[in-house]
Amino acid sequence: MMDCAEARAQLLDSQHGRLGPAQREAVAAHIAGCAACAHEDAAERALTDALTQRLPARPASPALRERLARATTAPPRARWRRALVPVLVAAMALLILTPVVVWQRTSLRRAETAAMVDEAVADHLRVVQAQHPLEVESGGVHQVRPWFQGRLDFAPVVAFGGDADVPLRGGALAYFLDRKAAAFVYGLREHTVTLFVFRADGLPWPSRGLQRVGAGDVYRAQTRGFTVLLWRRAGLGYALVSDADPGELRALAARFLTGA
Amino acid sequence: MADGSGRDIVAREALDHIDALYRLARYLTRRDADAEDLVQETYARALAGAAGFAPGTNLKAWLFRILRNRFISDHRRRRAAPLVDAADLVETTAARDEDWLRDDLELDRLRKVVGAEIEAALMSLTEEARTVVLLDLEDLSETEMAAVLDCPVGTVKSRLARARAALRRKLRDYAR
Repeated sequence: MMDCAEARAQLLDSQHGRLGPAQREAVAAHIAGCAACAHEDAAERALTDALTQRLPARPASPALRERLARATTAPPRARWRRALVPVLVAAMALLILTPVVVWQRTSLRRAETAAMVDEAVADHLRVVQAQHPLEVESGGVHQVRPWFQGRLDFAPVVAFGGDADVPLRGGALAYFLDRKAAAFVYGLREHTVTLFVFRADGLPWPSRGLQRVGAGDVYRAQTRGFTVLLWRRAGLGYALVSDADPGELRALAARFLTGA
Repeated sequence: MADGSGRDIVAREALDHIDALYRLARYLTRRDADAEDLVQETYARALAGAAGFAPGTNLKAWLFRILRNRFISDHRRRRAAPLVDAADLVETTAARDEDWLRDDLELDRLRKVVGAEIEAALMSLTEEARTVVLLDLEDLSETEMAAVLDCPVGTVKSRLARARAALRRKLRDYAR
């Protein structure tokens, strides 16, 4: 049996999903039988909540964002000069070919994005219609998030862990197109809201028609009575799906897209 | 077409982390203008050294490490102030005010603390302590945190425990 010193040393790692399942269970078992450590556990969670939810977010200014976007896409000057001739040749080729290629790419992109939207709705329906949709019942996001550890090859980051109006009911493993995803299932009155979190790389993310929601750029689509919101953040992709009111869903998306 | 080299990944994905980097920079430097400079310099360095980024490793952790190193070298150049406050080095976990900890008052207080208070408490910590508290919230693994802070994993743990204990002490003091 783990003692208090060991349990306290691993408390934060356990809460923040940095322990393996066996260690995490050992910490949980100790907490269950020790009032002092249970108190410490609750206090550390409360401190984390204060830091993640109430500490001013301090997002980067749009001006800085724009400056850096320009800097990251511009090639370094020295390399550019060396590559001047091939660049000029390529530019001429581009001038001739661009209208065709751009048109083809845009329509292809649109179809691929529609496939992502359809996938999100289909996955949401699987969650809603499954007999046992929730593989982990919720005691809060600190319980649901660590559950995915070892089941996914990434750590799903979710900024909003539910509240009285939009409770987090639980989570399940899902597939989004070709990859594994974490499904976080929330309730919004009689509606079910599913947030899928997955690796963002290699997917046909829309680059047009984005709208600013919270601190992120979100693509919104309506299909078959469902609203789907797609966005990317820190290498992860997010799909928020529900048949709830589109305005309410947008407001909910903003809670996942705080500046943190 | 972009391939999967370190340079491509940095060019394509570095901006996804701008808010996380700016937040740490802002809480380190305390001023918007300084934070913007620091983040801008971090990106310039990241792009210049992008070939050194190993695909498959955590880009955010790599960027944090550049930012922190930048901050430390700037900071040391500008003023020779110590990064670690002596008070932070005192072992606090064992001899904390156990009465208060057992008391539900602290829990109640932590749950009600407002943004300005938690910010003031955070800013009263040393830069080292602030860094570890904020990094802990960024979903990095222990090893990644240790790489950012350039210290052993065990040191990350003890620094984090001390920093959070100090934060709780400050918040408790505000309540009195």
